[in-house]
Amino acid sequence: MATRKVRYKKLSVKTLLPVLREDQIDPTEYESLTNEAQISTGVEQAEENEYHLQAVLQGAGVAADKEIPVPPPQESTLSYDDLYPQQFSKTSTYIRFSQTVEECIGCMYDMTEDDEVFLKSYNQKRGANPHLSENDFERIMEVFEETAYIKTPFASVDQTIVNYDEMLQGLGELEKAKTMPHAKQVYEYWKSRRQALSNRPLHPTLKFETHQESDDMDPYVCFRRREVRQTRKTRARDVLSADKLKRLRKELEEGRQLILATHNRELLKAEMLRTDRAIFDQRALLKEQKIRLGIKTDDEDLINQKPQKRKAPEAPPVQRPPPPAQLRLPVRPDGRPADADLAQLADRIAEKENELRLDIAKKVQNHSDWNRGHIDLTRGPLSPVSGPKPEISFRPAKTQYLMTPPASASSESLEDPTPMELDKPEPILPLFKFRGVAQDEKSLANPPKFRRRYGRLNRLWIDRRGLTSPPREIDDSQSDRWKYDQSSDDEEDVPTYEVDPFDTRALKFRASIPLPVWMTQRATAPITRIAVLPPQGQGQPPQLPPTGPPIQIPTQSQNQVLMQALPRQAQAQARPAS
Amino acid sequence: MTSGANGDATVGSDAPRQKGRATPDTIKVGCIAQVTKDGQARRAEILSIRETKSGRQFYCNFDNFNKRLDEWVPVSRIDFEQDVEWPNPEKDKQKDGKGKKAPAAPRKAQPSKNKKKQVGKREQSVVSEGQTPHPWSEFVESQQAQVKTPGARGGADDDEDKANASLEVGGTPGIGPDEMELDEDETPAGVAKKERASSFSREEEIEKLRTSGSMTQNPAEISRIRNISKVEFGRYVLFPWYFSPYPEVFGQEDCIFICEFCLSYYGDLKSFTRHRQKCTLQHPPGNEIYRDDFVSFFEIDGRRQRTWCRNLCLLSKMFLDHKTLYYDVDPFLFYVMTTRDDRGCHLIGYFSKEKESTDGYNVACILTLPQYQRKGYGRLLIQFSYELSKIEGKLGSPEKPLSDLGLLSYRQYWSENIIELLVGYSEREEKCTIEGIASKLAMTTQDVEHTLQALKMQVYHKGDHKIVIPEKLIQQREKSKLKQKRLIDPERIQWKPPVFTASSRTWGW
Repeated sequence: MATRKVRYKKLSVKTLLPVLREDQIDPTEYESLTNEAQISTGVEQAEENEYHLQAVLQGAGVAADKEIPVPPPQESTLSYDDLYPQQFSKTSTYIRFSQTVEECIGCMYDMTEDDEVFLKSYNQKRGANPHLSENDFERIMEVFEETAYIKTPFASVDQTIVNYDEMLQGLGELEKAKTMPHAKQVYEYWKSRRQALSNRPLHPTLKFETHQESDDMDPYVCFRRREVRQTRKTRARDVLSADKLKRLRKELEEGRQLILATHNRELLKAEMLRTDRAIFDQRALLKEQKIRLGIKTDDEDLINQKPQKRKAPEAPPVQRPPPPAQLRLPVRPDGRPADADLAQLADRIAEKENELRLDIAKKVQNHSDWNRGHIDLTRGPLSPVSGPKPEISFRPAKTQYLMTPPASASSESLEDPTPMELDKPEPILPLFKFRGVAQDEKSLANPPKFRRRYGRLNRLWIDRRGLTSPPREIDDSQSDRWKYDQSSDDEEDVPTYEVDPFDTRALKFRASIPLPVWMTQRATAPITRIAVLPPQGQGQPPQLPPTGPPIQIPTQSQNQVLMQALPRQAQAQARPAS
Repeated sequence: MTSGANGDATVGSDAPRQKGRATPDTIKVGCIAQVTKDGQARRAEILSIRETKSGRQFYCNFDNFNKRLDEWVPVSRIDFEQDVEWPNPEKDKQKDGKGKKAPAAPRKAQPSKNKKKQVGKREQSVVSEGQTPHPWSEFVESQQAQVKTPGARGGADDDEDKANASLEVGGTPGIGPDEMELDEDETPAGVAKKERASSFSREEEIEKLRTSGSMTQNPAEISRIRNISKVEFGRYVLFPWYFSPYPEVFGQEDCIFICEFCLSYYGDLKSFTRHRQKCTLQHPPGNEIYRDDFVSFFEIDGRRQRTWCRNLCLLSKMFLDHKTLYYDVDPFLFYVMTTRDDRGCHLIGYFSKEKESTDGYNVACILTLPQYQRKGYGRLLIQFSYELSKIEGKLGSPEKPLSDLGLLSYRQYWSENIIELLVGYSEREEKCTIEGIASKLAMTTQDVEHTLQALKMQVYHKGDHKIVIPEKLIQQREKSKLKQKRLIDPERIQWKPPVFTASSRTWGW
């Protein structure tokens, strides 16, 4: 036998326990270890040790040969069949039932043995007169009890007895012929019974709470109300309830209005039907008359109304998505194909627009034809931009620097220009210099024109006429506009711009720089000739910085550029500018 | 002075009461005398005395017998040859109480449990614990003296109720009826004392009942003398076991009549007969939620069928000691088991269930009517309550306190089902947990443990907790298997857990 010293592991409800049969384990090993903690039976402690219960519990688990004795029930001696005569037929489905007891037991008053005695003697006294049946007696008594309960709920306290006149109202709901002759006498009987019972209800009733102190102690007082916890009454809650009530009132009112309106609508409908009918009748009459009198007209006036009435509401759903002109509405619904003969406004408009476009296109065409072979610089005579994106920030910068050309073309580069490879060989492009031309009416009137020609000694000449602005080919996307955005803080340190002196665009730009004023006077000559003249004879074309080696024209050593219009100084002046 | 079968016969000895001979005329309420019961003399306390045509009768409560065995006895059954223990208003009140109480006790175990159970509930009710009267003896004595005197003087014979009250004061303080005596005592002194001693616990109890529950823990709530002696009910005559608050006048009737279907109650045969001619009810007024060849179950909402459910409660109170009818039936659902024949569905038994139980109870009150007892119906009722819990997905337990019969029925159901499970485990050589058993049977783990312990199946062996199934239980199981017991077939239950919104609970919508 193990000793008590063994400490039990705690047994939790989640512990896995092996399940053994008694024969699988040696009883002596555990018998004394069986948990002997007091078991709480859940029985009231004072009763737990009752003799019979203990007797049964002793043999826990053993077949219950011992039982707790109880007062044994007996078979009733009353005739069950008389008392419970109704047959019950089992329903095939589960019973569902919600009537209350009150609804199932008919008249609430059940006559007692005393009543029976009274009724018998009463009927005897009446002799040949119609007797009062038990059912009617009970109905009358029910009325008395009920009226008394309603009118004098505290009858047993204040001892008021409802008088007969007040009962009449309730009695009026019964079958008068059967009950009224007896009512008065039954009332007297009822009154005496009530008085005998100190004006308590004739049927014994349960004691309910009367909210007196004694209630609490009285074992007969039962089925008290469970008071619902009083919700705290606050202004907010009141407002809330009031709002709810108001809303309820409003919604009910709306519902009422809705019903009224519906009612009205139905009345109107009926009226309309009647009117239609009257119209029809009248027309029938008219038709008859017509036939009788032999009036032959078309029957338009007899029928036109109806189809129109029908169609109007039908029309909208059939409408085509682009709603046509209103005028055509009645025609559409008939399902006829769109009439080709009728011009539609939309078509018209489209037509006109087309015409307009054609006209414009034609004019544009004409214009371009007319301009063919010419470069139109009129739109932006001076500025190269004037394109779709006028660069506001670019223009001022440009004008500012126009007169101070970048120092890229240093004397060094001038003296010893390094040959460079051109990204784009432009062999045909002639080597020339532009002179800015002042804008005036004359130049505007005559768009500038260029002419290349070979003069004597095979010299290349470029004649220009009316040149007012530099070429407009400068592409914004490729422009180096940002290069000039740097702010030059100090004037002595003139910013150097990395410019390829022979870049085509740079050349073009330089060409656009207007000449100094003293030169422009001459430049206004109708025909300005620019002679590109290698300063030191033939064979050294690279010495001409603006042109550069890639331009092949000067490479011809024989070429002599004659500068007719430009004096030598002017050329010298122009050179650093490039 | 010995109650033969009772080993606790020594009770009175350490609490000497005044003893002496009495005559049928001098014996009074509160006396303890030797009264013949089933051919044996037993100690019995006289709770009331009445005069009948056939002579004086004494209402006796027998030592260690359940109250349902209390009865009115004629003079002839009282042994006047032996000394009677007199209730001693001044001195011996308390001892008397002890003597009375002691029989109910291998006392030592009780106090602790009692305390545990009722701590906080009765702390202030001085005497009620009664574990050891001595510490408070003076206090108690003085109070009881106060209380007792008026009652005794009032003359027990004149006013039965009063007599009861006073008698209880004197007679059984140990059981904890102090509250009751006080409650029922209407003398100013009594009221005053009540307020001091027991109002707290009583209020608490009432407050608890207001929100939940149907059983009172408080013996003081229970009237000790049954008021109805005989009931005609359907094909049977029933002899009530306990007090039930039917109309007071019914106490004077020899027999009352209760309609088997609507459960309305009548004091005289004529009105009952008249009622039977008009009553159309043939089954409990609710929806049938279960039907097999043998029984049907109906679900009835206490709020919707208030009259019927009240009637049912009054009826069942005659057989349930601790049931309280203090509050109304609204918060309960009633599951009523009936048997069918060509006259209707006859009430066999029922259990009530709170719509919302704060303590997780799946049964509040449960009763098989006496005429159907010992036929296995109780097991069906219990099984049905657990089947409902399974559908709800909850673990359930019956509300406490259980009655003696309730305990036995539940133990039987629990042990049968647990053993069935365990045998399966043992055959498959699987291990199990208490929790697993609980969730399979929709029982609380406490109930599972309780059963395992009660059957002595939980052992500690070689450092491990184990479950051992005793051989005799296995044999018993096989025997009962042969018997072909009736069972509830869960497939036939047509039921969804009813849902009650706050407003439906409050307003019945």
